[in-house]
Amino acid sequence: MTFVVPIGPQHPALKEPEYFRFEVKGEEIIDLHVRLGYIHRGIERALQERSYIHNIYLSERICGICNVAHTTAYCQAIEQLAGVEVPDRARFIRTILCELERIHSHMLWAGVAAHEIGFNTLFMLFWRDRELVLDLKEMISGNRQTSASNTLGGVRRDVKPEYVPTMLRVLDKLEKATKYYIDVCSSDRTILARCMGIGVLTKEDARKLCIVGPTTRASGVDVDIRRDDPYAAYDEISFKVITEREGDVLAKVIVRLREILESIQIIRQALKALPSGPLRVKVAPKIEPNEALGHVEAPRGELLYYAISNGTEKPERVRVRTPTYANIPSFKPMFVGGTIAEIPIVMASIDPCFACTDRVTLVDSRTGKAHVVSFNELRGRIK
Amino acid sequence: MDSKEVAELIKAHVDDVRIVSERRIFTTSDTQRLKSILLALKTAGVTHLSTITGVDRGNAVDVIYHFDCRPAILNLKIPLPKDDLKIFTITDIFPGAILYERDLMEMLGVKVEGHPDPQRLFLPDDWPEGEYPLRKEFKRGSK
Repeated sequence: MTFVVPIGPQHPALKEPEYFRFEVKGEEIIDLHVRLGYIHRGIERALQERSYIHNIYLSERICGICNVAHTTAYCQAIEQLAGVEVPDRARFIRTILCELERIHSHMLWAGVAAHEIGFNTLFMLFWRDRELVLDLKEMISGNRQTSASNTLGGVRRDVKPEYVPTMLRVLDKLEKATKYYIDVCSSDRTILARCMGIGVLTKEDARKLCIVGPTTRASGVDVDIRRDDPYAAYDEISFKVITEREGDVLAKVIVRLREILESIQIIRQALKALPSGPLRVKVAPKIEPNEALGHVEAPRGELLYYAISNGTEKPERVRVRTPTYANIPSFKPMFVGGTIAEIPIVMASIDPCFACTDRVTLVDSRTGKAHVVSFNELRGRIK
Repeated sequence: MDSKEVAELIKAHVDDVRIVSERRIFTTSDTQRLKSILLALKTAGVTHLSTITGVDRGNAVDVIYHFDCRPAILNLKIPLPKDDLKIFTITDIFPGAILYERDLMEMLGVKVEGHPDPQRLFLPDDWPEGEYPLRKEFKRGSK
């Protein structure tokens, strides 16, 4: 006899609305069904109805956390369409912003993961130190979160020489803190008990299902767009691609924390090698028919923008494939065979970022059957 | 594989090959030859399908497969006429295509034959049949 446990669209274990239907036998999960679209905003269609300049701001709002990754990928695609080369200084500033974003995103995630296993002290500590990075982002871009720095042909704001000593000082502080967190996460009994051997994604499944980012690197797949398809200034910077073999939740924690250390190294190198020169070049508002692909390693993995121009000031089509979309198929192998108690942390382990409208699931308390109703039907029932 | 190696591998099955850089290759083919391209890629060790894009081109819908051949990205275009919007599933060869094909079906109305789970992915359950949001004729508020 199996039971259905619905999680979502509104649920304390979810930070964003999405619907997961778990089929369980006792405590064991035997099947899973995911329903997306609760926050689908039709952005791909909106992108083709707006101008190239307007779209920078729209693409930036696809994801609040990784906005720099989105604008970098968008600008990269449009710059290739127009055949424009970005000035060297702008390439380095984009690299610095991308890495600052990665650090803050990974720390935000680590805090959420700690909270999911009930370790709220660690959650507070992670988020306290994440403030340091947000302050740096604010110093460079004027904003803690949505930086609005990237633009077509370069960047809008400079990293001024007087910022550098502060940045280096904060990076030292962050490095020390991250090393401490790696030590805590690989030795604390509570964390080991909740994360080790849980939600395992094998290397074969990760490859077969085309999984991306830290989720696949934690399963031993050595892939990183920054090294494999370098953009911005990554081809002039040396860094290691972090992988772990185990594929469990703990490996995903360690991969992300070790990536913070690499990001700190990348920013230090970029600040040292920061070339002088202009910040941006002009891009004509109309772009001749062409096609191009923007490819970025966002904090959650491979982010892809494919754009087609048609000679006007609006694109013919912009396709956006976000990392979480690519990682949804990994849920099934990670959950099936596990227990209900593991659901929150395993779900959090891919660092899901659901940016995707209006339905409700009603469960009949007598029969236990779930039924999805439309918004109009629900409105009818309320009347 | 870089772009030249990818072009060499699939040149027998494609029409025009446009190599933009060492890591970007754009090419066009058709549904008859698609299977042999997919098998050639698989045999050469390509495992990563980045995504599938559907583009409404007026009288045709272009289905574009983006394969990560590391380091080259192969953009393989298959134009489908509007009066025969059908393509076979590639999930038997690249299982990672499962969600992208569902996306293609609901957003552009391309019928993916043999798909293991042809349900809606993003659109609500009461979305009208035959309305495809990424088609040119779709108007906001027409729902």
